Amino acid sequence: MRLPDSVTGSFLVVLGAAAAYGGWLLPPVPGQPVGPNVFPLVIGSGLALCGLAIVFGIGHSFEEEEELIPLEDGQAAAPSPPQGKLYGLRALLPPALLLFYVVAADRLGFIITAALMVYVTSTALGAKWKLALPLAALSPFAIHLIFGKLLRVPLPAGLLPTPW
Amino acid sequence: MLKTLIEAFALISTWEVIIAMFAASVYGLVIGSLPGLSATMATALLVPVTFYLSPIAAIATIVAASSMAIFSGDIPGALLRIPGTPASAAYADEAYAMTRKGQAELALGAGVWFSAVGGIAGVLSLMILAPPLAEIALSFSTFEYFWLALLGLMCATLVARSSPVKAIAGMFIGLLVSCVGIENPGGVPRFTFGLTDLFGGIEPIPALVGVFAVAQVMRAMLTPEPPPLPRRKFGSIMAGQWKLTKKYHWQMTRGNIVGIIIGVLPGAGADMAAWVSYAMSKRFSKEPEKFGTGHVEGLVEAGASNNASIASGWVPSLLFGIPGDTIAAIAIGVLYMKGLNPGPTLFTEKASSMYAIYLMFIIANILMIPLGIAMIRVAAYILLAPRSTVMPIIMLCCAVGSFAIGNNMFGVVTVAAFGVIGYVMEANGYPVAAMVLGIVMGTMVEQAFVTSLIKSDGSILPFFERPVAAILAAMAIGALLWPVMVWVWRKLKPVQTAAATSR
Repeated sequence: MRLPDSVTGSFLVVLGAAAAYGGWLLPPVPGQPVGPNVFPLVIGSGLALCGLAIVFGIGHSFEEEEELIPLEDGQAAAPSPPQGKLYGLRALLPPALLLFYVVAADRLGFIITAALMVYVTSTALGAKWKLALPLAALSPFAIHLIFGKLLRVPLPAGLLPTPW
Repeated sequence: MLKTLIEAFALISTWEVIIAMFAASVYGLVIGSLPGLSATMATALLVPVTFYLSPIAAIATIVAASSMAIFSGDIPGALLRIPGTPASAAYADEAYAMTRKGQAELALGAGVWFSAVGGIAGVLSLMILAPPLAEIALSFSTFEYFWLALLGLMCATLVARSSPVKAIAGMFIGLLVSCVGIENPGGVPRFTFGLTDLFGGIEPIPALVGVFAVAQVMRAMLTPEPPPLPRRKFGSIMAGQWKLTKKYHWQMTRGNIVGIIIGVLPGAGADMAAWVSYAMSKRFSKEPEKFGTGHVEGLVEAGASNNASIASGWVPSLLFGIPGDTIAAIAIGVLYMKGLNPGPTLFTEKASSMYAIYLMFIIANILMIPLGIAMIRVAAYILLAPRSTVMPIIMLCCAVGSFAIGNNMFGVVTVAAFGVIGYVMEANGYPVAAMVLGIVMGTMVEQAFVTSLIKSDGSILPFFERPVAAILAAMAIGALLWPVMVWVWRKLKPVQTAAATSR
C-alpha cells in the first residue's frame, strides 16, 4: 500500500481544509473570543500546509529508505509468495473480520463469531485445516473464560451459550 | 518519607499485585520474544485487563510487561537475527554474529543482565528527577503547559526516523482525532457527524490497540513467516556477565544515561535509545573494527540503554501527562482511568502510589533476571508456535478487549478503523508514534492553548512574559525550526563544495 507522496499529501490537504472549514462553522461561545472553533482551525490549516509540503517533496531527503525494517533481511532469499493483483487486499482482512464481529456477535454469539474469526485469520496466514480447526474450536472458549468469566465482560451468548 | 515508603510497600504487597505482576511478566516475556509482536502491542492488549484490577495492580502489569518485553525481544534477535521488538533491532545483527561464533549464552546473558541494570538506572532517574521537577511544575500556568506540550510534540517529530514534515502531519492527524466529541471549550458536538457514538470522543486506548496490534496483524498477512528457531542447549547464561560489567562499566553507564535522556524526550522510546546507543558505542569504541563481527560491547551499551528509557519515559508522563514513549502513552490512559491523573500534584497527594510505582519498577527489573534466564531456556519451544496460531488469538483479544473498554461495540469499530489508518500511515512513511502522541495529548494541548488565549485576551505577549514560558517557547520554536535549518544547510553544502572544487 505504498502510495506516492503526491497522493497522500493531497489527501492531507483536503482533510486539513475540511477540518479547518468544519471548525470554522462551529458556533462560538457567546461573549468569548475563542471557542471550540479555534483549535480545529489551527490544526486543519497546519495539516493542509504539511500536505502541501509533502506534495512538493519537502523533507523527503530526511527519509531513510527502508532502513527501518531490517526484519525482512534474513528472509530476502526465501521465494516470494505469489503476488496477484488482489494479494495486497489480504491486509484488509483483519479489519474486515473485526467489523464482521461487530455485526454478527450479537446475533451469533461470541463463541461462534470468534471461532469463525480465528479460523479465517489462521487459514489466511497459511495454517492447514488440521491446525486451524482445533484452534478455532478451543481458543474462543479460552478467551471467554478469561474475559467473560474472570473479568466479567458481558460477551454476547447468542446461539451457543457457554457451559459456565 | 519513611511513612510513605511503608505505605507504598503495603500497597504492593497484596496478592493481587504480586500475581498480576508475575503473570504480566510472563506475558511480556512471551509477547516480546515473538517476532512481530512489539512491547507496545503487549502493553496495549493488556489495557482491557487492567480495568478490572486495582490501580496499583493495573500499573504493576504495565510496568512488568513492558520491561520484560523489551528484554525478551533480544532473544529471537540473537538466535534468529529477527528482533522480537523494534527496540532490539539495532543490535540484532551483532547478537546473531555472536551466536554464530558460539557465544549465544554471552549475548543473551548480556541482554538479561544489562537490561536489568539499565531498568534500575531508569527507575533511579525517575526517583531523582521527578520530585524536584514536580516542585517546579507546580508553579506552571497554562502558558508553560502550552509550550511544554508543543515542545513535546515537536520532539516527537524531531526524533522520528522519517521526514519531519510527515511526522508533523502525523501529529496533526492525532490532534485532529482528539478534536472529535463534545469535550471542547464550547461543549458543542464537534466532528461527530451526528453519530452519538462519537459524542464521547475517540478513546485513545482502542485507537492505540488498532494502531499497534491490528496494523501488525495486517502486515503479517503480507509478509512471509519467520523461520523456526533451531533447538539448542545453553550453557550457563550469567557466566562472565560480572566480568563484562567491570570491563565495560563506562559503556554501560553511558548507555544508561543516553537511554534515560531519550526516554524523557516525548515520543522517543526504547528503539530510538537502542539505535543511538549502539551508534555511540561504535563511534567511541577503542576497537570499532570489531563491531558487526560479534562483539559484545555494543550489546552492553544498547541493552543498558533501551531498558533505561522505559522507566525514564514515565517522568514526563507522570508529571505533565506528556508521554515519553508509546508505552507511556498507554500508561497515561490507564492512569487517567484509575484516578491517578498525571500532574505535579500526584507527587504530593498520592506520594505513596508514586513510591509504589518506583518499587514495582525495581522489583520487575530484579525479577527479570531469573525469569529472563528461564525464558531463554524455553524460548525454543515458545518460538515454535507458528504465526498462524498467535495472530488469530491477537485478533480475538483486540475485539474483546476493545469491546470491554466501554462494553460498547463502537470500540471494536474504532480498533478496526485505526488498524487501517496505522497500516496505511506506516506503509507510507508517516510515523505512527507522532499520531499517537497527538491523540493522547490533544485534549490537554487544546485546553492549555484555549485557556491561554482567553487569558491573554488577544495579545500574544503573555505567551512569552513569564521566564519559564519564554525558555520553553524558545526551545519549542527552535525544535520547529531545526529541520528547516538542517534542510537549508544541506542545500547550501553541495553548492559550497562545488564552488570549492571549481576554484
